[in-house]
Amino acid sequence: MKQGRLTKMNSRMAFVAGIGFLLLAGVTLGQSPVPTFDKLPDWSGAWSMMGGTVFDRASQTGQGGALAVGVREHPPYNAEWEAKYQKNVALKDQGRFPDVITNCGVPAGFPRMFNLPDPYEFAVRPEATWILAENGPNVMRIYTDGRKHLDDQWETYTGDSVGHWEGDTLVFTTIGLKGSRDGDSILDRTGLILSDKAHATTRMRKISATMIEVQMTIEDPKALTKPWIVTKQFQKMKAETRLYDYACAENNRNPVDEKSGQTLTLGPDGKPLN
Amino acid sequence: MKLINKMGIAVVVVASMAITIPAAMAHHSGVEFDTTKIVELNGTIKEFQFKNPHTWIQVMVPNPKGEPVEWSLEWGSPNALGRDGYRPTTFPVGAKVTVRINPMKNGSPAGAFIGAKLEGGKTIGTWN
Repeated sequence: MKQGRLTKMNSRMAFVAGIGFLLLAGVTLGQSPVPTFDKLPDWSGAWSMMGGTVFDRASQTGQGGALAVGVREHPPYNAEWEAKYQKNVALKDQGRFPDVITNCGVPAGFPRMFNLPDPYEFAVRPEATWILAENGPNVMRIYTDGRKHLDDQWETYTGDSVGHWEGDTLVFTTIGLKGSRDGDSILDRTGLILSDKAHATTRMRKISATMIEVQMTIEDPKALTKPWIVTKQFQKMKAETRLYDYACAENNRNPVDEKSGQTLTLGPDGKPLN
Repeated sequence: MKLINKMGIAVVVVASMAITIPAAMAHHSGVEFDTTKIVELNGTIKEFQFKNPHTWIQVMVPNPKGEPVEWSLEWGSPNALGRDGYRPTTFPVGAKVTVRINPMKNGSPAGAFIGAKLEGGKTIGTWN
């Protein structure tokens, strides 16, 4: 009797311990476990985006940079969004395509989050990874604790990102993007835009001791005819590189004139010089 | 090298070349500056605004009548410049200076800063 009770108790304890282990390990069916710290890659230090702020240099057409007059990128837009983009390119060529981040105050959003000048830091913990961009400043949170996207996620600039680790690769999906719906979120100054139906799967990994690669597969049933794959790379900066406040509104002498779309240059008296 | 007289101010077009400034003008497009021209100005430092999102060097430059005109010269972010060793004291107030800039397309007294040479020979920025 006593022996039987002990066996039953041991079985219960083993079951509870097993559940506890699974919870601690973050294992859920069909998903990679939440790694422990010692299994995470070392992405410490400061990192600099390679290749300038043209979003998709790899798919660039024509000669010269896409910021040059008449040169464009080629996301696989459908006819309606191609027309919208051509309108933006025409404004850009006239120096009148407004970049809202020039006026300070709104996030760059995703995917422009991975398309900024100035250094980045990547804070990696088992339950989440934070993308920290000095420029803006901009922050993106990627939850890796096993949570799912909300079923009723509303749209924001950077959206909602959840993911998991496949070895040294951080894989995450991003939904809930407002895109160009309100006219205050673009991908770069060539006039690239996406809709509020855009979503993405991103794979982020260290491809060498000094380079991190971010590959985004962007889908947008409203604007694109097929998935658009864009790769950005980040090079490690020298040791002890410091990042600072990016107080965009501290002394912004280049606001955008909302009527003309032109970037102004303010003189010492605060009046436009152009 | 072509010497021109613009607004009566001794302005030297040092070169006519495409100078790209995306890193310095990361906060805005920089389309307002004529990157095909480099002009040289002689003046006196009034102020160095070592603030985000861009630093501004305010330089007093005499016009043809000898009256001082305040020029606004835009440079990189204080963060980037600080990482490169520059400081708020880089341009001392009152220092005599020769500066090279990409001028405004519309001729206003402003430009994108390229480099400077202080009295005494110290150079700042790009000065080849």
